[in-house]
Amino acid sequence: MLPWVIANPGSPVEEVCSRFGYTRSELIDDLNLVMVCGLPGYGPGDLMWAEVDEDSVIVDAADYFASSPRLSPGEALTLLAAGLALLSSGQAPPALSSAVEKLSRAVLPGGADSVRIDLAGEPELVSLLRRAAGRHHVVDITYTALASGETTRRLVEPWSVFSSLGNWYLSAFCRRAVAQRVFRVDRIREAEETDELFEPPPVTVPPMVAYTPSEDDVRAVIKLGDQARWVADYYPVEVLEDVPDGLVVRFSASDPSVIGRLLVRLGPHAELIEGEAVAHSTAELRRTILARYADA
Amino acid sequence: MRQVLERLLNLLAFLLTAGRPATAEEIRNTVAGYDRGSDEAFRRMFERDKELLRGLGIPVETRPTDAWEVEYGYVVPPERYRLPDPGLTDEELAALWLAAQVVRLGGQPSGPEALFKLGGGATSGAGEPLAADLGPDVELLAQLFEAVSERRMVGFGYRGKARRLAPYGLVHQRGHWYLVGLAGTELRSFRVDRIDNLKVADQPDAFTKPAGFRLRTVLPTAPWEAGEERITASIVFSPEVAWWAERQLSGAAKIRRRKDGSLVVRMPVANADALVGWLIGFGSEAVVEAPPQLRRLVVDRVRGVA
Repeated sequence: MLPWVIANPGSPVEEVCSRFGYTRSELIDDLNLVMVCGLPGYGPGDLMWAEVDEDSVIVDAADYFASSPRLSPGEALTLLAAGLALLSSGQAPPALSSAVEKLSRAVLPGGADSVRIDLAGEPELVSLLRRAAGRHHVVDITYTALASGETTRRLVEPWSVFSSLGNWYLSAFCRRAVAQRVFRVDRIREAEETDELFEPPPVTVPPMVAYTPSEDDVRAVIKLGDQARWVADYYPVEVLEDVPDGLVVRFSASDPSVIGRLLVRLGPHAELIEGEAVAHSTAELRRTILARYADA
Repeated sequence: MRQVLERLLNLLAFLLTAGRPATAEEIRNTVAGYDRGSDEAFRRMFERDKELLRGLGIPVETRPTDAWEVEYGYVVPPERYRLPDPGLTDEELAALWLAAQVVRLGGQPSGPEALFKLGGGATSGAGEPLAADLGPDVELLAQLFEAVSERRMVGFGYRGKARRLAPYGLVHQRGHWYLVGLAGTELRSFRVDRIDNLKVADQPDAFTKPAGFRLRTVLPTAPWEAGEERITASIVFSPEVAWWAERQLSGAAKIRRRKDGSLVVRMPVANADALVGWLIGFGSEAVVEAPPQLRRLVVDRVRGVA
């Protein structure tokens, strides 16, 4: 607060409060603190001078606090990354682009193009869903589930749109499922905002993106070869055993085809040890793909 | 708490204006708030205060008090303390507030402290139904960011190998952070969450980035564009998955839509393996038409022999 108040003498108390998140009495408390601080000697000429006159704030004799301290690396990165992320999402207010440029020049002198963030997704869809969530408008979506490939049309009450682990998601109350659901925005084929208002929930439950296995999930035990060890980093698997030539993991998914596709993709670098439904699904996938390459 | 704040403000005012390194003893005798208590109590209090100031981003430096380097003192060099005023307008500050509220790094939105340093501004973005999460770990990233901004060399372990790198920048893409830089003569990228035992060299300005360097060119946008192969693939996607394929194809792909809604795509491929992996996700709804060796690779992969 100090550098700003020093640079803008006589600012109204109200403005200082709203700018720096103070209540009036907190501000006066802090100004009283400033009054007893200063330079050694600590006589009248050495202490800082702060007063609230009528309704304006004046701080004097503190030229050494006229500049703000620089941002710590963590602060600088977090704020710069936030600005860049919002810009890349296509959801930024117009002033953000010049703000990020100025911030970047201040925290990265001579180091332009040192941080890059790509949150590109479906910017038009994200905008539409964000707007509808803000207005509490029901949205009509056509959605293709990732696991089963099934396409359905549903009316949803959009709560929030968020980006996590490289994908955009919609957290909403689904009227078809009559429950809260998280949808991947890129699997929403079409979306239309309706005029119908919904009652927003009093408290939105922070959505969980991390996959949590449920009772109904299919499970399979798979041995990953050395070249397929990365799977354990990307998917929420349970590592059962670390053997010299690979990793034995237990994989859970809502549909056997998810594991089947992964197994086919890994080719000779993965071996199914246990899981009948997955074995079926894998064989079926192999058969249908090969049928389209009969002459190769 | 009030006492600590008072002491910190006095200490900072003194270190900023002394114009020379001051020894701990001198600080104890001069700065208000340190004159009580035992030697041991002073030492603990002073250590904690230094750490508090450093935690706020304030450069409390240790330097010899004279040319003989017998004694060391503390100083906050004003030129390193001061944040060059970026001159943000109120509108720009409001835009940054929104970004800070919406985007999380390290599990939390950016705190208000950084924005207060930049001039405050009315908070905005509360209740905004938009959020973005840039990953859970901010400490390692902050260390790397400091190395990038001060151009210091870094050393680290990566998948069991020791690496040395001139760090050029940080990239967040497809949900992961990557450190990009020059390793020997080669531009390389490393996933930050796999980096361990990071060591940042003391020497700043240890390298210069080449003038034409652009971060965007180092990491490919699609996995099949990362590699050495030069193949032009021709692929047909069925009408059922056409929309989904189209969303994932990069600008380099030439797309033709047939009357029945299927897509015929011609695209450059630098990593056939990654392409085949992606295509298998489409099951039998995507078929490689050419070249023959790519068709062969799909078949071998599906049979589990390649």
